[in-house]
Formats: sequence, C-alpha cells, structure tokens
Amino acid sequence: MRDAAGEAAQVPGVAWPLVGALPPGARVYAKFAIRSFQKQLAYKFEYFVGVFNGLLFIFIFTSLWRAIYANLESPPAAFDLEGITAFAVFAMIVRISMTQDDMSTVGKIRSGAIALDMVKPMSYFGMMLSECLGQTMFHWFTRVIPVLAVSLLAFDAALPRAWENWALLAIAWPLGYLIMFMVNYLFALLAFWFIETFSFHLMKYGLFTIFAGGIVPVDFFPEWLKPLIESLPFMYILYTPTALFTGHIAGADALRLILLQGAWAVALGMACTVMWRAAQRKLVVQGG
Amino acid sequence: MNEHEPLIRAEGLTRTFRVEESLEGLLGSFKNLFSTRHRLITAVNNVSFDIHRGEFVGYVGENGAGKSTTIKMLTGILTPTAGRVEVADIVPYEDRAANAFNIGVVFGQRTQLWWDLPVRDSFDLLRSIYRVPDDLFTRNYRELAEALHLEPLLTLPVRKLSLGQRMRCDLAAALLHGPKILFLDEPTIGLDLIAKDKMRAMLRRINQTRGVTIILTTHDMDDIEALCGRIMIIDKGSIAYDGSTERLKREHVRHKALEVEFHDYNPEVVAIPALKLLRREGNKQWLRYDPKAGTMHEVISALFRDYCVKDLSIHEPKVEDIVKAIYEQGAAPKAGAAPVHA
Repeated sequence: MRDAAGEAAQVPGVAWPLVGALPPGARVYAKFAIRSFQKQLAYKFEYFVGVFNGLLFIFIFTSLWRAIYANLESPPAAFDLEGITAFAVFAMIVRISMTQDDMSTVGKIRSGAIALDMVKPMSYFGMMLSECLGQTMFHWFTRVIPVLAVSLLAFDAALPRAWENWALLAIAWPLGYLIMFMVNYLFALLAFWFIETFSFHLMKYGLFTIFAGGIVPVDFFPEWLKPLIESLPFMYILYTPTALFTGHIAGADALRLILLQGAWAVALGMACTVMWRAAQRKLVVQGG
Repeated sequence: MNEHEPLIRAEGLTRTFRVEESLEGLLGSFKNLFSTRHRLITAVNNVSFDIHRGEFVGYVGENGAGKSTTIKMLTGILTPTAGRVEVADIVPYEDRAANAFNIGVVFGQRTQLWWDLPVRDSFDLLRSIYRVPDDLFTRNYRELAEALHLEPLLTLPVRKLSLGQRMRCDLAAALLHGPKILFLDEPTIGLDLIAKDKMRAMLRRINQTRGVTIILTTHDMDDIEALCGRIMIIDKGSIAYDGSTERLKREHVRHKALEVEFHDYNPEVVAIPALKLLRREGNKQWLRYDPKAGTMHEVISALFRDYCVKDLSIHEPKVEDIVKAIYEQGAAPKAGAAPVHA
C-alpha cells in the first residue's frame, strides 16, 4: 500500500482496485470500512486477549450448563445437554462476530468533533455503519475464525450440515447486526440531549446481556416475562441468529422470527432518521 | 446564478438555545433533580448580511458573541430558530449534503484528517467523499501540494505532523474538491510567527488566484488586518459593524501616533500644535497626531526643521484597538452597521 518516498508526488488513490469497481456513491463507504479494518490491525494485544476471552467464556458457559444439567432429573423440553452446549458455543461466537464500537459517536458528540463529519456530503449513519462493518470484518478474520476452530475441536459443538441453517444464518445475522447497530446508534445520539449518558449505556448493556439471549436462551425465561422480551429488540440480535443456525427453531417459527427481525430493522431505521433530524435541530456542538 | 447576486444571503438569522438553569447550594442541587428551569439564550439575534463572490470577510466577536453559531448555520450543522440563509442558492440546514459540496471548512483547533492515516490516504478518502472527478482532483492536488509544500508530509500519519504542517494539510484538505466558499475558524491559532505569515500568504493567494470566497473567524486582529477587505463584528448576537476594514479604520480612528527618536537631546516639549505627548522614554517620545490641527506633511516638516530627529515612525491605529472600543461600547455604533461592499 505504501509507495516508496520517491513516488510521493504521485496522486494517491489507486491503492484499492476492488473499491474502484464500485459505483462512486458506494465507494466512499467501502473505503471507510477498509480504513476501519486497517485501524484494528494496530491493536495486536487486543487481538490475542479477544480470542482468549472468547474461548474462556465459551468454556465457562458450557461447563455451567453441564453442571446444571447434571443435577436435573430430566432435561427441560427446550434443550437437551447437547442442544444447550451448541447454543452456548454459537451464541458466544455470534456475539463476537457482532462486536461493535458503540462509543465513538458519543465521543464525537462530546468533543464536538461531529461538526467536522457534518460538513461532509455524506450520511453520518452510513459512515458509522461502514466503519463498524470494517471492524466486524476484522473480528471475523481474527476472532470468529480462530474461536470457532478451537470450539469445534474442544467443545462438543458441530457445524450444522443442512443448507437451510446456513441460509437462515445468512439472513438473520445481517438483520441482527443491523438491529444491534441501530440500537447502539440511537443510544449514542442521546448524547446530543444529555451530557452524561453513562447510565443509559449501562441500562442498554443490562438489557442486552439479559434479553439478547446470548447467555440464557429466551426459552428459559418465565412465561410472564416472554411478552416483554419479545417486544424488545434485543432477542433479535443474538438469540434469533443463534437459534436459527443451530436448528433450535425451524420452519414457520423461523420465518416468523425473520419477519419480526425485518420489522424491527425498518422501525429502528425510521427511528434513527427521526432522531438524527431532531438532533440536528437541537444540536449544541460542544466546545464551540 | 447571477454574477452580481450575493453568494451568501442571510436574512434575520436568529438562533436561541434553551439552557438549564441550576439552582445553587446543596438544597438547590436536590431541587435540580426534580425540576429544571430553562432559560432562553439568544446566541444570534436577527442578523442579516450579504457576502459576494470573491470577498474575504473577517467575522469577529468575543467568545460567546455568536460567531460560531452563525458559521454553523451557514455550514448546515445548525438549524436557525428564525430567519433564512442561502449559500450559493442552497439552504444549508435543509440540504446539508448539497451545501457541503460547495464549502470547505478548516477548524484551527480540530483536524478533519484521519489521525492514524498518512496524509495522502486522508486526501484519497476526501476525494471519494466529495466525488471529485479524476482530472479535477489531480489538478487541485498538484496545485495545492506545490503551494503548501506538502510533498514531504504526504506519507506521514497526521499524528506525527507539527501544528503548522497539520494546518497546511488541513487547508489543502478543505480545498481539494474546489469549494466556492472556505470557512476558516482560527486558522492561525497556535502557529509561530513565520508559520502564521506563511499561512496568511497562502490564504491571500487562494482568495485572489482561485477566487474562493473566504469567511474567517478569528481572535487575531492581525489576521483580519492582513487579509480581510471586509470586517463584520458581532457583539451579543447582533452585528455591531459591517463594512470595509479601511472604513472601520477611517471612521473609528483613534489617532495615528508618531514615535520620534531624537539625536542626543530629548526636548521637554515638542511645540507643534497638532502633536500631543503620550509617553516619553530615553531618547524617544510617542506623540499623538491630531489631523484637524495640521497636515502630516506640515507636522513632519516642522519636526525635522525644529528638532534633531534621528528616526521617526508613524503608527497606524490598529484594528484591534478599534474593535475593542466597539465591544466596550456595546452594539452602539449603528452608523457603521449598514452593509457596504467596497
């Protein structure tokens, strides 16, 4: 990518031939994604810790389920031991595959640096989403694949054989990812209204941890709580792709979940537009 | 768009902010938890002006006077509460993206370059963001790289640049897409004298040779004096002066001063009616010149005839002093508020 110093006078920008093939409107977002990918490469330590953490959590949760199931007289209807183990492994991998930086917009609003993004002729949402995708691509290569490889060998998890599971994942994962991004985005925009948004984020993390179904599948929650969980966006982020991929949910139920995901994505998309407009009317850029 | 029509037209531009009022004391802090009192602050109050193509306008005001609020409305970041603004026939806050193609922005305190990327990669991203056609980009890029001496900097990541180098790159970044209008916010802040001079020379050239309309906000009156043909002073949200920098000097002249160095003898009194002693120090005197009591020619002739003058310099009144006086008077001198395009 770097030219020799002697060629410094040359015009930049021929470096990414694949990007050049895209239509001009999309090219810029692709470049943002690639740039964000590059940036991640700088944090080697983070990378190794990330892989280790992923495996550690998978180990903890699979052990936990094994211990719980060992003390049950009969396994619950929703999952047998094999099923819950697979769910725990893949829920963690889906979670890693969706790692997103949800604080950069907050930082930009606080420092006022967002003003510089707003004087550029591009969608802020699009810019942030492409940066986020760049990060995610990075996580796919550096975390998802190694963690998955080790998990398949070390924990009793197998990739599904049926193409239907993969097809459902191919739809449910991007939708879940988008829902997560938009929930993060909406919470981040709150910084326009409130100077201190830490408690909102804490609330979001709490809701996500409990209701996204990444740790305890939605099936194990009491019946009275399920209507609440189903009317929040969180279970469509982790639980849905994981349950469809592992085949825990299939057929008409799977289709229904995907439609609900789609509805959430549309609704959140509209909310993002409305909130961004409101923010622009309200906007007080900090620090002049 | 007609050549003679204003490029920027603001009419009755107003922006109010609602700020929370905090009650004082411990009890007050608790009350703040449950009730918030709001107060309306009018940051920009009924401001109108026209700016024509090719002008170099200094937009001046104290902190909190409404400068940056105005600029944010012109750049589409902020929506006005009342009034209207058009920038090259576009209402910025209604079509932020379309407006963005027409403008370039340099904030002295912040960089629009990507911190961890080499400068040239930032430029390349900007090329994509503004969808600059290849030939135009190549031309602008060559010109700017040469004028701003960017060659040695291009491969460095932005975080390794000195402030002066970074400002040069930022200026280039703002001009790569060939904007009609350039907004500069404190572009010389923190620069050393030589870098300041260079920056000013470049801005002058950009204005003159590329015909870019420039709006400069700054606290540095030397910037204004060196660059701006027109000055707009905003005070407490209202325009306190809008007119040519020359006229500002002429109309609000505090008198010129003479700094006279005498040979070996410093006279007690300089007996010339048009001169009044301001200060004396060693062999020097500072004298205020009153144009009503005689021409400068007469005064200087008399000085050289009657005294042993070794050296003489004439100090023009500084814009800084005039502007300070206007702040102190408040938005009073409305006589100068009518827009004039010299």
